[in-house]
Amino acid sequence: MDNLSALMLALVSLLSTLIALYSIGYMAEEDGKPRYFAEICLFVAGMLGTVSADNFLQLLIFWEIMGLCSYLLIGFWYQKPEAASAAKKAFLVTRIGDVLFLFGVIAIFVVFGSLKFEDIQAGIAAKFGTPALDLRMMTLIPLLLFGGAVGKSAQFPLHVWLPDAMEGPTPVSALIHAATMVKAGVYLVARSFIFLVPVNPANGQVISAAVPWDAILVIGIIGGFTAFFAATMALANYDIKRVLAFSTISQLAYMFLGLAAGAWLLASSGIEETGGYSAALFHLTNHAFFKALLFLAAGSVIHAVHTNDMREMGGLRKHMPITSMTMLLGCLALAGIPPFSGFWSKDEILGVTFQVGASQSLFYILYLLGILTAFMTAFYTFRLWFMTFAGKFRGHHEDHVHESPGVMTGPLAVLSVFTIASGLFTFLLPGSWTNLIFYHEPLGESPLSPFLRMPDAALAGLSVAVAVAGLGLAYLVYSRQSIPASRFTRSRAGAGIHRLLLNRYGMDSAYNKLAAYGVAGVAAGADWFDRHIIDGAVNGVGRATLALGGLSDRFDRTVIDGAVNAFSLSTVRSSLTLRQRQTGRVQSYAGVVVLGLSLLIFLVFVWRFLLPALGVK
Amino acid sequence: MIPLEWELLLSALLFVIGLYGVLVRTNAIVVLMSVEIMFNAPILNLVAFSAYFGNPAGQVFALVAIALAAGEAAVGLAIFLVLYESHGTVDLSKARLLRW
Repeated sequence: MDNLSALMLALVSLLSTLIALYSIGYMAEEDGKPRYFAEICLFVAGMLGTVSADNFLQLLIFWEIMGLCSYLLIGFWYQKPEAASAAKKAFLVTRIGDVLFLFGVIAIFVVFGSLKFEDIQAGIAAKFGTPALDLRMMTLIPLLLFGGAVGKSAQFPLHVWLPDAMEGPTPVSALIHAATMVKAGVYLVARSFIFLVPVNPANGQVISAAVPWDAILVIGIIGGFTAFFAATMALANYDIKRVLAFSTISQLAYMFLGLAAGAWLLASSGIEETGGYSAALFHLTNHAFFKALLFLAAGSVIHAVHTNDMREMGGLRKHMPITSMTMLLGCLALAGIPPFSGFWSKDEILGVTFQVGASQSLFYILYLLGILTAFMTAFYTFRLWFMTFAGKFRGHHEDHVHESPGVMTGPLAVLSVFTIASGLFTFLLPGSWTNLIFYHEPLGESPLSPFLRMPDAALAGLSVAVAVAGLGLAYLVYSRQSIPASRFTRSRAGAGIHRLLLNRYGMDSAYNKLAAYGVAGVAAGADWFDRHIIDGAVNGVGRATLALGGLSDRFDRTVIDGAVNAFSLSTVRSSLTLRQRQTGRVQSYAGVVVLGLSLLIFLVFVWRFLLPALGVK
Repeated sequence: MIPLEWELLLSALLFVIGLYGVLVRTNAIVVLMSVEIMFNAPILNLVAFSAYFGNPAGQVFALVAIALAAGEAAVGLAIFLVLYESHGTVDLSKARLLRW
């Protein structure tokens, strides 16, 4: 149990309580409430078990429990074919990552003989430089663990399941697919810092020769690319929850980028430079609050208008004042407008990425992607807000739209307090709270020192500027409508890009085809193998057994039966002869008696009289 | 006084004649009669030895044995009666219940 576990435990407990409360209102008219709440509880148990594990085995087991609950809850409305197939998709896609994770755990056990984090850390220090520790394993293991994180946190190329997972109930999307479970991937990578930044426990120094620089770079590139890639897909989508889902992927990717930059920074500059690591976990905390808020507010909207399509919303501000205000706070945080929480942590991540660019110039490119993502984030976030709450109502039955009950707006209010404050906690509560976020040892100086030490305050200005630019563009297009949205799709290239984004770059259909053809091919191969090899073997064994049986049968019939029959036949024959002596006539019996008696008398006579008389002794 | 040997020889002769009848004749009545002849051989022996030794006990035994022979004949005749009822004959060669 360390700071990281404590932070995650606090987050998960708080958020799951709020979201469970919210669910009481959201699920009020649904059937299957016991199933719903039981699965939520199992999920929370899985998440708490995952983050409180002190070894990789427990982590893996609870990780799988979370995956199961995710599957069950996405498919909560299993009567809907889309929900059922989304649940299957989520399960199968994350399974790819989980298998990699499993291989990683096996590799750890093979190399270190233990799965406990402390033993591994000591093991690296003890075995480093000896033949017992192959340096290639030091790169392979964190990459395998990262494979698990890619699946769970829906990073490219395994991101396809998360948008479909929005078929589940909205509180589930908020709890599992925004605030907690998808963070488990980030948590796992933070845990695998024992591999990324191997520290010698004896002197607290980084063993720099054992640092897997390639693995860190892979994590950073996947993170930076996914952040950009997912944000582009969020630009064109009309489903309010899917926009948030793409945004979640993108924000998670920021955290991976931050972790990679942090690992690089730690490994190259020494154990004091915890900036990137802290920034990523800081962003994890802030994102958990504001994304849960956004999802719950979106759920509140869906609860009121009974559709996910933003084209059928609009003008809801006057009907749903609490929801619209809280969602506005969440949007400001997500867009990275100071002083809301998203700004502090996102800026720290970008700042550290820029700082690391000095030693590995690839991080400059990742920083550029991050800035572009920040612009797109602000744009799609406010596109969402303006399309939903501003303008005129575009759906049907406006008179049915009403504000959600208190049990739903209450958690919204609580979360919006956290959304404003969680970024400021680092200023307001130096000490306990910040020590949860920041790495290992309590930092003596200002808790935000990594932020304040950022190389150039201009960077912060730049990210605020792009966020405001994105916000402004969204305002012009979707609220004032001085720039019509159709202008982007008027040209042939623009329309093509729009279609490409709506189709999510065709990756989903490509995966479906790949799965269909690949699985069908494997199945055909398995069928052939089954029919020819397995069946052949079984039939061969059958035939051999049959032949052996025939042989045994013949032996039985001729030799054994022959012996038995011969014995019985001879018995019968001898009895046929012997029974003729049994005449049944009294006189023949009497004759035998007389004959025997006479013989006896004769013998006695010979024995007692004749032989003594003849002198035979 | 007739010598003891003659009497014993007569007794043996009686026994063998009776035995021949029992083994050879098939009529049950004749067989019973032969048995009676065989029975008389030891009785004659008892009387002969009684006279020879001058001991009257032998003659008493002879009388008891004759009485027994009468009973035995009665039992034998009763058996033959039953045999006749079940088989319709007293021919012993026909009554072969114990045959194979």
